[in-house]
Amino acid sequence: MEVSFSQEIESLKLGAGQTFHGEGILAVTKALLQSGVSYVGGYQGAPVSHLLDVMVQARDYLDTLGVHVEACSNEASAAAMLGASLHYPLRGAVTWKSIVGTNVAADALSNLSSPGVMGGTLIVVGEDYGEGASVIQERTHAYALKSGMCLLDPRPDLPRLVEMVEQGFGLSEASNMPVLLELRIRACHVRGSFPTKDNRAPAISTRALMSDPARFDYMRLAHPPVTFRQEKLKVEQRIPAARRYIVEQGLNELMPGRHEELGLIVQGGVWPALQRAMQQLGLADGRGNAEIPVLVMNVAYPVVPEQVVGFCAGKRAVLLAEEGQPEYLEQEIALHLRRADVQTRLHGKDLLPSGGEYTVEVLARGLLAYADQHLPGAVSAEGRQWLADITRRREAAAAMLAEPLPARPPTFCVGCPERPVFSALKLAQQQVGDLHVAADIGCHAFGTFEPFSMGHSILGYGMSLASRAGVSPMMQRRTLAIMGDGGFWHNGLLTGVQSALFNGDDAVLLIFKNGYTSATGTQDLISTPAASDKASADDKGRSLAHTNRTIESALQGLGVQWMRTVHTYEVERMRQTLVEAFTSDFNGLKVVVAEGECQLERQRRLKPWVAGLLARGERVERVKYGVDEDVCNGDHACIRLSGCPTLGLKDNPDPLKVDPVATVLEGCVGCGLCGENAHAATLCPSFYRAEVVRNPRWGERLVDGVRRAVTSWLRAA
Amino acid sequence: MAAGGLNPVDAVNAVNAMNTTPSITARTAAQAALDRPLTLLICALGGEGGGVLTQWLVDAARLAGHRAQATSIPGVAQRTGSTTYYLEFDPRRESERAGAPLVFNLSPVPGALDALVSSELLETARQAGNGMLSAERTLVLSSSARTLTTLERMAPGDGRLDDQALMKLAAAFSREHHVLDMAGLARQHGTVVSAVMLGAIAGSGLLPFERRHFEDAVKAGGGSSASTQASLKGFAAACDEVASARTRGAFVAQVLGTGAAASRAQPDDAQPTPAPVGQPSNAPSAAAQRLLAGDTRFPEALRPLLTLGCERLFAYQGAGYARLYLDRVASVLQAEQAKAAAAAPTPGQPAEEGPITREVARGLAVWMAFDDVIRVAELKSRGARLQRVRSEARAGAQDVLKVYDHFKPGVPEFAALLPAGLARRLQAWDARRQARGLTAWALPLKIGTHTVTGVLALRALGLLKPLRPLGSRWAAEQTLIEQWLETVRNGTRQQAQLGLELARCCRLVKGYGGTHDRGREQLLHVLQHLAPAQGTPAQTEAAAQAVAAAREAALADGSGKALAEALRHHGAPPQAVREQPIRWVRKPPRTSQKAEV
Repeated sequence: MEVSFSQEIESLKLGAGQTFHGEGILAVTKALLQSGVSYVGGYQGAPVSHLLDVMVQARDYLDTLGVHVEACSNEASAAAMLGASLHYPLRGAVTWKSIVGTNVAADALSNLSSPGVMGGTLIVVGEDYGEGASVIQERTHAYALKSGMCLLDPRPDLPRLVEMVEQGFGLSEASNMPVLLELRIRACHVRGSFPTKDNRAPAISTRALMSDPARFDYMRLAHPPVTFRQEKLKVEQRIPAARRYIVEQGLNELMPGRHEELGLIVQGGVWPALQRAMQQLGLADGRGNAEIPVLVMNVAYPVVPEQVVGFCAGKRAVLLAEEGQPEYLEQEIALHLRRADVQTRLHGKDLLPSGGEYTVEVLARGLLAYADQHLPGAVSAEGRQWLADITRRREAAAAMLAEPLPARPPTFCVGCPERPVFSALKLAQQQVGDLHVAADIGCHAFGTFEPFSMGHSILGYGMSLASRAGVSPMMQRRTLAIMGDGGFWHNGLLTGVQSALFNGDDAVLLIFKNGYTSATGTQDLISTPAASDKASADDKGRSLAHTNRTIESALQGLGVQWMRTVHTYEVERMRQTLVEAFTSDFNGLKVVVAEGECQLERQRRLKPWVAGLLARGERVERVKYGVDEDVCNGDHACIRLSGCPTLGLKDNPDPLKVDPVATVLEGCVGCGLCGENAHAATLCPSFYRAEVVRNPRWGERLVDGVRRAVTSWLRAA
Repeated sequence: MAAGGLNPVDAVNAVNAMNTTPSITARTAAQAALDRPLTLLICALGGEGGGVLTQWLVDAARLAGHRAQATSIPGVAQRTGSTTYYLEFDPRRESERAGAPLVFNLSPVPGALDALVSSELLETARQAGNGMLSAERTLVLSSSARTLTTLERMAPGDGRLDDQALMKLAAAFSREHHVLDMAGLARQHGTVVSAVMLGAIAGSGLLPFERRHFEDAVKAGGGSSASTQASLKGFAAACDEVASARTRGAFVAQVLGTGAAASRAQPDDAQPTPAPVGQPSNAPSAAAQRLLAGDTRFPEALRPLLTLGCERLFAYQGAGYARLYLDRVASVLQAEQAKAAAAAPTPGQPAEEGPITREVARGLAVWMAFDDVIRVAELKSRGARLQRVRSEARAGAQDVLKVYDHFKPGVPEFAALLPAGLARRLQAWDARRQARGLTAWALPLKIGTHTVTGVLALRALGLLKPLRPLGSRWAAEQTLIEQWLETVRNGTRQQAQLGLELARCCRLVKGYGGTHDRGREQLLHVLQHLAPAQGTPAQTEAAAQAVAAAREAALADGSGKALAEALRHHGAPPQAVREQPIRWVRKPPRTSQKAEV
């Protein structure tokens, strides 16, 4: 990874009496160190990638504290790492993107929760929910319920967040339950500040090693017969202990209000939006004071029955703002009220939508319905007007537009080595017919957007090859599975390749070997080009993916017989290779390795190198593509075959022509795809490749001078 | 389910408590205003430095002594999807604060935004569409620049949104708005758009900070001194532009007038575009004008257009061809005038040219100068073209520039130059190849057109011009042109609208290779199946609608699905399925392979 986190690492070192300024996820990272964590692991994924990225780069500093950092191969391996806290009083933390990562980790989490932990364990999950999220289905909450883990959903205010991390370890140790800390996207990226404390070097660490393993203790194994006893312990001891800790430490907060006959209950993470919604409706001020009392559940599980029942008792009606579905909290609170025979009316998903992000507007509409029913006249006229105006404005804007505005999904970066493969795939399908494409998680999932629109299923990270196992036996044509190297190492090697080989499946697997898990922020993998290869490369911008052949060796080792490695920018060769894979007489697994290093990493390497060369007055060659505006016909076939963001449109300079012509915009990195596509697809002769040599050598300059003189005479006016 | 015997009262008391406050509804309006954070939503595209901008703003707030909170939906960074950043500021300095600190929220509230700053016009409009912006409260600072979405760029015709419509949305849903070319300012000062956006915010007076607070935040942000200086210059330019526009107080007029026009005149591309080189140079112009001068068939208003057409065709294939062009246009003009005269006879009035003739005069010139190998070679070997490439590639005078052109002439391109008989034999040979499962024959070439041999090769191709009318493509194009013109004339005689819609169909024929073939087939299909030879007024009206629908569908969707749908909707037969060699993949019976081992 070429991105440097040196500034972030400095803020991890802050001590007592200083102030941290930065993002929420980094504050959590700092809080881990303040809590005396011994080991940290995880798997990258938005919005929590930074935790691990910064930790991995801070290894030298962490080593001084004796903290171990492990970049795990997937979430299951990260969860299994928490096994260290089963027998030993070690505080450990892991992180991943939820719900996907938690699903992958489920087995280890279940078997960690059964025996219960001795050292505090914290699982920081990025609850990827709401606007900008990629996996909004399911709630992490379900895992807390079914495995018996605590779930923290703190108010996204940095001091509170940091405190909850420290309290999370305490809660885990008090209850022997692993603790999930759930952070929504905006909470991960919130910029704020908090007063720091000194980092705590853990008592047991890589610098203070344990001399002996723990003695054999069957109760620490998730294995029958003790699992039956462990299930009892969860209910009889651990959950009550957790509830005691929650109450004693005041983890949940009560915000008082004048109308004591009413009440609101909210997850900590949703509290700021609820507070603002109340302010908009005239039910609160901007400083956290509200007309209606609010119970803020910074701990979403376990619920303390006495606390919620005590809050609800004597009130006419309570509204629960619980984001996500199903309404686990509502079900549980209703149950506690019923058991305690408290007749307070409980509102929740009857007034608020069952799914989707609880934005201020959504909450305000629910609150309005609640207030109208139980506190008529309390909502201000301005508040009502504000809500009505939103609807009116949306309608007015829609009326001003002929049709809905086009979406702007993310796409492959400029110069991305994966785009050419989709071009080749589009061309190959013109030859062999349309294909069933089993897609996967990763940058290559952008191939599902325009202009490629390819992919029939996405079943999980590295699951593409496995997901076509039932399709290929039922189809005349061969199927294609697409996988990145991230997916390959995360899961695909075993669930896909091994299974296909073992069953003798006839399938085609296309592996994007770009050297990183790029979609999550270009983290390094076992197949990442070595630092020594990067250092010794003459041309820093060149792809170095070919220098690491771990994927190829692994496939050969498993017994893959048909394998072709093709550089992604060779569109014509890629097309031929794909056609060959689809028509070959070989009936087993056919693997095409599409090799080309992630452009982001190459550019990060290239830019400082070129700047250095130019500063020293040395020769630098730069490539840019262009379109001859008078040759371009304005049919945009090139864009439909590439979709590159720097392939734009401009008004046709020819007064006789109507349609806009293609044009290459400023950001072009000269990847060469335009030229390759023009050749492979017999597109159009309007593309040119311009190579600009800065500080040319004298011989070059001489040849150029002669050429310029002769050709200017040869050229037409 | 007992939690260690805690009683409910203790449990509630044990949680953090705060002092109860008097009724909130009793507050004054002034109190309420100070109780409200200043809210700012930033819309940018991945890779535009929105994160840096946010950090600058948070730092500036800190330097000015105000509390602030920022958060973001960064999207998938660097991948040009839309990203948003949201900030809240305490309007008062920390030192002046009375009572508890403001509670900041993490997401923008529709109708409660004090400002929107956007680096892209469509994203500005998107927020208006979401109901975010309020005409009472929101200040809009938007770039006039467009970064076209893939959907807009993909259409075979012109899929771009209308800038004016987007601009109107920004104007309608803002209390004040400034639209400036942020991308242009960034380019001009060699910086990124985030610095320009910061300048616009500073200049707008939205935040109660001094200019130096912003500048100090930029300086504190790190980075090389050169990039910091560039950022500061971009910042200053935007700051001054917005600040002076505010003092003039003439934004609305400026935005709805020249602001919009400027954005259209200066589209996506950065490079200063030299004068159009689509037209030939002066030499044939005189000759073309002579040709036209002696021709009395055309009304004055049509002559500038015809001059362009004549020039192009004179340069393309000489005076005779230009004359043929004029004759063809005249035939349509005659039909249109006859129809107009029949519809509303106004004796004594000189016949005017109508939209049909205008469209034919434009489209016919382009079509008759169809792009073949000879024309492309000619265009690519022009001196002016090399100058344009130099400027587009930003090659300095001291830099060596190498230009390579990508050509891939195939059998159709060669056959185009051969007489019909030979062309057929060549194409038959290629068809047989393809039937055997081979790809169509083609010759991929990468010619260095900065080299002597490269230019010589292009010039040599250009010399084939006199042979062009002998080629098979020439004949084929002339036949199709005549067929189109005849349909247009026939349509015009029935109903003017039908004639116009048919005339506009010439836009379908463009591109090279397969794209060109498909366009030609689409045109033929429309001419054959949607243009009635004779019909009742109701029928011709329906036909005009059908032709328009089919054409727009074909120009909107490159995959042809929209056209197929339009044809079905209007009761026309579908286009014939293209022949494609079938490839059989041997699929072995599912016997257990492991058993044999």
